[in-house]
Amino acid sequence: MRAVVKNGVGVFTPQGFLDGNSSSAFLSLEDIEATLVLNVDMILVSLKRVVFFNKNGLEVFMKLFSKIRQKNHATVGFCDYDEKKYKAINIFYQDKMYFSLYKTIDIAYLFSSSFQKQNKNVLLYSDDKSQRSAMAIELHDNGHNPIIAQTRQEFREKSSNMGAYDAAIDLTYLGQMGQKIATRVTGNAIIYSISSFLDAEISSKFNIQYHNNSLNVGFRLFIFDAYKVISMNVHALNFFSKLASSAAEYNANICFVGMDFEKTTDTFKETLEDAGILFYDQMDDILKNKELLKELGASSAANTKTKRVINKQTVTELPRFIDATVVTIEMMTNSKAIKQSAQVQAIDIKDKTDKIASSIGYYGDLDGMVILVFPKAIAKKACELLIGENTNDIELILDTLAELVNIVGGRIKTLLSDQNISVDITLPRTYNNVDSLLEVIQDRKGVQVELSFNDDKFLFFLTR
Amino acid sequence: MITKDKIDEFIEKIPPAPKALKETLALLNSGELIKASKVAQTDLALSKYLKNLVNKPIYGFSHEVKDISQIFGILGVSDSQQTVYNYMTTLLSPSKWLLFKLNAKNFYELQARLSKRWELILKHLGKEDKNTISAITLLPASIIVSEALFCHKIKDVTLLRATKNLDYNTILARLCGMDLFDICEQIALKWEMPKEIGEIIQASSGLKPSCDEDINLLAKWMHLLLFYELSQPLFIEAGLNDFVDFQVDFIGDIYDDFATLMEIE
Repeated sequence: MRAVVKNGVGVFTPQGFLDGNSSSAFLSLEDIEATLVLNVDMILVSLKRVVFFNKNGLEVFMKLFSKIRQKNHATVGFCDYDEKKYKAINIFYQDKMYFSLYKTIDIAYLFSSSFQKQNKNVLLYSDDKSQRSAMAIELHDNGHNPIIAQTRQEFREKSSNMGAYDAAIDLTYLGQMGQKIATRVTGNAIIYSISSFLDAEISSKFNIQYHNNSLNVGFRLFIFDAYKVISMNVHALNFFSKLASSAAEYNANICFVGMDFEKTTDTFKETLEDAGILFYDQMDDILKNKELLKELGASSAANTKTKRVINKQTVTELPRFIDATVVTIEMMTNSKAIKQSAQVQAIDIKDKTDKIASSIGYYGDLDGMVILVFPKAIAKKACELLIGENTNDIELILDTLAELVNIVGGRIKTLLSDQNISVDITLPRTYNNVDSLLEVIQDRKGVQVELSFNDDKFLFFLTR
Repeated sequence: MITKDKIDEFIEKIPPAPKALKETLALLNSGELIKASKVAQTDLALSKYLKNLVNKPIYGFSHEVKDISQIFGILGVSDSQQTVYNYMTTLLSPSKWLLFKLNAKNFYELQARLSKRWELILKHLGKEDKNTISAITLLPASIIVSEALFCHKIKDVTLLRATKNLDYNTILARLCGMDLFDICEQIALKWEMPKEIGEIIQASSGLKPSCDEDINLLAKWMHLLLFYELSQPLFIEAGLNDFVDFQVDFIGDIYDDFATLMEIE
């Protein structure tokens, strides 16, 4: 069984009965290996479709959890359960709960640093006061607005008025949290939250792929929220110095906010400043200063690093990129997708109204970005298989378009691997209008291909 | 990926029930066990299947039963009919499984387990008429249909299912407006199986409850039994655990009763 990944969370969904006999069959060695190399913030086991489990049934997942934590520090645990299951797990593990419990997968997403929807108003309650605080801190670090209910009664009363909150959290437990660096996006700045002692482990906790992808798609301001940092050693110093050097190549800026140098030697600060890192006392010193934001580069998402052109190798492999898109659309719609025209040019979208887009980056032996631009109604048709219902919910359509582009990316990876070209793909990104897409790619040249299925036209653009 | 035309083609290609089978079933239906066993013996594949199935440990015979008339005699009319229907279902199964890690032996094992436990359930519910006993035999056809329709699209479905947790039933329903259980019902019609068999199978998907409360009750037990068996290591490893979605809410009101009957602790 393999985990399905969304919003930086990998989820296993076993069904039926989990006991000592059955559960070991769910995870083969290959499944475990595949899980360990997933670049995710969390690995969870959904109990939504489990009708019976005992402690032995959960143990095989515990072994997986332990391997994951040793390997990549991701958060591990269970989700999608009712009160009865929650209590059973608590009884089984009592004081040894190093894993987390999220009542629903949607609650888990709120704690995932890759979840791109921030500023959610979240009501929360736990019988355990320290859990309440821990959840509030995590949610706040992820860019949400936590509201703590002090009693169960208060939680019940407030949560009955759900219009006031985006989510209500109870029956949730944060075990040993993932130690990956939490990431959130504010405007065109990316904020990383770091804490405690910074040492050699920073390089494994920090999602360098996400960071590089952010640079590539045009982010130029990276802020490290360092209020909770106690000290750093020379390994962390080297890490940040290198990060600053690579940011400089993109003309990007790295800032530290709230870093207290009481327990860290001042020469470290000087070294970091020499590497180009800027220091500020308060987050608002940056975020509320429009002039400074502009100066630091957060007013534009454009990638101003050398504008790279489509190279020969990319053009050679172009048919595979188009094939991956065509075959995916055909699979999703059961209709023939047709290539209408192809040209090397800056992206040209004649009519920008009611269009949405999604992009996915790839890197490795080849690098670049595939962008699909759809009229909203056509995107809905293309995603019908994944959506499964008639909806006008634009967030749902964008989410599903991201899933479709993710499938295109997966297929590109496979097709290129058949040619001995190894690439990895990034998380997909969506744009709810053409302007936000153009802000990112600006006048970069690429290959623009007009495609259609059932006479419905959409646009494919491949750029670097 | 999979079109309605492909489904129609699949249904079209299903062979009608062989003459010997029809005759055996007709004789069983009229209670003529000896005559039925004589006709059954003329079909060598059926004879071999019957011997293989009833000698599985779950049938609990202390020594090997070889003679078809003896098998029919021991099983009685209802269970003999069920066994013959089980054989009919295997006629659809592929010589080589590609989508699921199955083989004939494991598939027969699943049939045997479902059949014996279904009998236990029906005894518990006091609903031991022969058509209801035979209803379980069509359920594994949903696995065969999935294999037949998706075996040439393994890469596509793997990619799709890595992105979204969709079962084969949902993929088919969304692409073609027809799901695995609809196809099973079509098979039942083609093989002139009793009408209630198709109805119970449809409701056992957990997605299309029947208006008939009795059929609904049987469907709940059948749905839970399917996932009880698909939680066995042999079938999890075959990739069957999530080939259709388990509807936990559908079986909520019978679970405790089921757990007691199956002695689940």
